[in-house]
Amino acid sequence: MEKYKIAIFSGEIPPATFVNRLIIGLAERKVQLLLVGHLKKRVSYPFDNIKIVGYSGRISKLWLFLKYSFLLLLYKSKDKRKLDLWIDKNAKNKILAKIRFYPILYFQPDIFHLQWVKSIADWVWVKEFNIKLVVSLRGSHINYTPICQPEFATIYKQYFPFVDGFHGVSANIIKEASKYNANSEKSKVVYSGLNLEKFTFTTNKIDSKPLQIISVGRSHWVKGYRYALDAMRILKDSNVKFTYTIIGVEEEEELLFQRAQLDLQDEVVFEKTLPFQEVLERIKAANVLVLPSLEEGIANVVLEAMALGTLVVSTNCGGMSEVIQHQENGFLVPTRNPQEMAEAIVAIDKMIPEHYQNSARNARKKIEENHTEIKMIDDMLTLYTNVCESK
Amino acid sequence: MNQNSKQRIGLVLPNIPAYSETFFNSKIKGLQESGFEVVLFSKSKSNTKHPNCKTVFAPNFTVRPKLVIELVLIIWQCLMHPNNAFSLFQLNRKEGLSIKNAVKNSCINSYFFSYQLDWLHFGFGTMALKSEHVADAIHAKMAVSFRGFDFYVYPEKNPKCYDLLFSKIVQYHVLSEKMKMTLIQAGIRATTIFKITPAIDVHFFEPVERKVNQPIKKFLTIGRLHWIKGLEYTLEAFAVLKKQGIPFHYTIIGDGIEKEKLMFAVHQLGLQDNVTFTGKISHQEVKDYYVKNDFYLQYSIQEGFGNAVLEAQVMGLLCIVSDADGLEENIIDTQTGFVVPKRNSKLLVAKIVEVLKLTETEKINIIDRSVARIKTSFTLEKQREQFVNFYVDTSIL
Repeated sequence: MEKYKIAIFSGEIPPATFVNRLIIGLAERKVQLLLVGHLKKRVSYPFDNIKIVGYSGRISKLWLFLKYSFLLLLYKSKDKRKLDLWIDKNAKNKILAKIRFYPILYFQPDIFHLQWVKSIADWVWVKEFNIKLVVSLRGSHINYTPICQPEFATIYKQYFPFVDGFHGVSANIIKEASKYNANSEKSKVVYSGLNLEKFTFTTNKIDSKPLQIISVGRSHWVKGYRYALDAMRILKDSNVKFTYTIIGVEEEEELLFQRAQLDLQDEVVFEKTLPFQEVLERIKAANVLVLPSLEEGIANVVLEAMALGTLVVSTNCGGMSEVIQHQENGFLVPTRNPQEMAEAIVAIDKMIPEHYQNSARNARKKIEENHTEIKMIDDMLTLYTNVCESK
Repeated sequence: MNQNSKQRIGLVLPNIPAYSETFFNSKIKGLQESGFEVVLFSKSKSNTKHPNCKTVFAPNFTVRPKLVIELVLIIWQCLMHPNNAFSLFQLNRKEGLSIKNAVKNSCINSYFFSYQLDWLHFGFGTMALKSEHVADAIHAKMAVSFRGFDFYVYPEKNPKCYDLLFSKIVQYHVLSEKMKMTLIQAGIRATTIFKITPAIDVHFFEPVERKVNQPIKKFLTIGRLHWIKGLEYTLEAFAVLKKQGIPFHYTIIGDGIEKEKLMFAVHQLGLQDNVTFTGKISHQEVKDYYVKNDFYLQYSIQEGFGNAVLEAQVMGLLCIVSDADGLEENIIDTQTGFVVPKRNSKLLVAKIVEVLKLTETEKINIIDRSVARIKTSFTLEKQREQFVNFYVDTSIL
């Protein structure tokens, strides 16, 4: 792969944790990388094969525009003219398009890897310059955006046939994308992977009472916290002693109101987003991690809990059944079903320690088999190789 | 105090009520017709005046070019009414506000200073926040309406937000008995709380003849697409109804920030052929939907009272509602409709199935009772009378 150059467009820099893991993993394999996006915060990597082109304020945008306009004029004036024509014809904000596109054209990667598929219409131009287009199929952009905003279903159907390779975060999402003309032969499941050296496995927490239940995630309806709170009320009615902490939803009006209406103030705690390491400590200290989502690709937080030895109760949505085998290494419950969610939590509460430990070990084994960082990078490189070798 | 014989009421609202917002418009009209003068104080940024009453806008600091003009106006108001400005400053200082914050408070409330009012009535509890001393400063009596969200939801995110308000002498208007009881529990004297329910124009909404035993059961809900309306629970109940093989159609009228969530719910629950979102539509079109449907659902998580439930009842729809706050009074369970415990789609679907099994005579009896009740107890005329009493009967203050 050393011979290949890959440009990664992640929307924002620094990118989300899981995109970052991919970037570091690829850099370690000596892949030449260009990272493009809106610069939110300065970031540096200990690799000289990662080049970052981030734009933020007006001055930085102006500088990038002038710099790459000049470089393209000097070295690739013909290509620049061709791209300018495309921009004139297709882009709404022409200047912004130039700021984003010129560095890619100058860098001329073998592959342009788009992390967030919603903006695919902006990036099909790369095909005209012999750059292969790879897109990642991740959670919301496939699972509900085209349903709730049908104009995206049209965009996907129009542009997916131009894509050279699809990276699906689960087999399920590839199936979902095929509804929008994504060619499954060009698709590959690349599961999210963890550096397991950083995830110490412990299972000595079954005795802690009250039961410590945790959820982690951004505040969004798709995360289904409403159902988790309804489940907690069922637990309370069943006299189960527990505390339930949701990390990442500190000031959500709907949940605050629901907690008060269901009289769960003593049992349920909402906390603001915490640093990654602290989140891991909190997951480790919990008996159960609940994923009440309505849709997911595969939730990274579930992989992390499984690696750490905390049993998971997850809704059976998206690709979750690809990682959780019900009652083998965790619990799968139907979406929108607080009753079954509560029953699964009670089942964990009643587990004898050996049973808990066995299930937790099965969960860890599953992660070791399918969700290591090494496997993720290997699989991604296979996808890149297939794409580059295809005609 | 207003020197003229006409009582002058300052009504404070976040926005100028749109034509379709019957509650405030009918209240304003009713008060004017009963000899009151109404001045509308609004925090609206649009600057569109109310067609029928004097409108005063709060300083708007969001438009930069206007900032200087607003500041000049504030200084002008304070200079022209130094007693009011200083009185408000002093009251705020007594409350423990720093000099800077007390000055700031006088500035944001300066738009009240030039009006001699008998009553300063905040249309929502939240509107009174940071203006608790204004009525005292301008020597007006203070009234506050609580409508639901401001009373039940807002304080969850802003605990103790009404502590200062509750320490003041205020006459309260609430929509339901339940709300009144909660206020009493918060330490408010019962004699200062008036329950005035919403009302509807019973001449505009009239019962219609319906075809009986329609093969497809038609259900309707009106409300903004917001979590408070419990629409997800309602859709989940319909998913169960569909599994039971009962043919139905469900129309949701309204728009809102949670459309995406609800569209996804419809998709995930496989209800694409059974559910229609109409978006926001005109008053007349709403009336047409009342005519076209047989059952009305309002399975809210929280609801002040539910005007649409009143309209639906008088139009002859059979209503099933949740037990959230005012809805319990809006419908007398089993007599004028059905009340189901909130947040429980299983109970809701069970009730829907039960209602579908009612005989035509049973349905007609319920509808007749609800129509008669609305036509006697929830008319605009009655509401007008209650509001006149509200402002006239001041012995309690």
